[in-house]
Amino acid sequence: MADGPTDRANCDLLLTSLLSRSPSAQMKVEIDSFSGYRIYPSKGRVFVRGDNKIFRFATSKNESLFLQRKNPRKIAWTQVYRRMHKKGITEEVAKKRSRRTVKHQRGIVGADLAAIAARRNQTAAIRAQQRTAAIQKAKAEKKAKEEKKEKTKPAHKPVSTAPRVSKQQMKGGKGGR
Amino acid sequence: MIGLKGTLNVIDNSGALLVECVNVLKQKVNNGWGSVGDEIVCVVRRARPISGQASASAPKVRQGDVRRAVIVRTRKAVRRPDGRFIRFDDNAAVLLNNKREMLGTRIGGVVSADLRMKGWGKIVSLAPKVV
Repeated sequence: MADGPTDRANCDLLLTSLLSRSPSAQMKVEIDSFSGYRIYPSKGRVFVRGDNKIFRFATSKNESLFLQRKNPRKIAWTQVYRRMHKKGITEEVAKKRSRRTVKHQRGIVGADLAAIAARRNQTAAIRAQQRTAAIQKAKAEKKAKEEKKEKTKPAHKPVSTAPRVSKQQMKGGKGGR
Repeated sequence: MIGLKGTLNVIDNSGALLVECVNVLKQKVNNGWGSVGDEIVCVVRRARPISGQASASAPKVRQGDVRRAVIVRTRKAVRRPDGRFIRFDDNAAVLLNNKREMLGTRIGGVVSADLRMKGWGKIVSLAPKVV
């Protein structure tokens, strides 16, 4: 019994030597639908199922297992299984798979990109300045408010005492009952 | 390998559904096995029920008719010149009249590419898929 991969390696050499002499379009190397092995011309069988799907088998072993409805993902020597369990792949290839997501700065509804950038680029000195300015502004406003309040308060007082008379007294109803 | 009593699905729109082989028409032998591209004499075992309307795809054959057919798919593997073997999931045929012309107008399903080599180019051209 020929060993699978080495037998195909020999076929490979033979085929390339043949192809180099006379290139013909029909010499396409198919792959087995069950195991993923390479099927060289004149080897294997083709099965067309009722739903018109085509299955290629390199050997009767593959064909038999397929017809028994075995799952190639569970059969250890198939390419499907090896790929799934990451067998025989070098570390480099496996590492290349991980991708890094690049973060993009996006503007929000309230503040577009330029505004965000401007805010971020403000130095600490400017911020401190803004802060003190704001504090001063707040203090000034507060003072003004207090002054305003004192002015208006005594003016309001006589006005506010008048409506203190209760409704009953206004209506002139019975007193105290 | 279709022989006496072998049943085939009919994949054209002639109205027949299942035919049973009665004779394999080969040049030198009358009996033997029929393969893809061989003409056979067959009996229509099951046909689509005939309705009152006369539509374009009205069934042309009735149950019990004796007709000719050409085999287009076999479960038995057929060897291609490149050494490959092709086999299908069922046996199928296309009905013909006595002059080797198709009875139906359309074919539904895959046909074997070996038909072209045996001289049934018309069927191959009508088929939706050729393997």
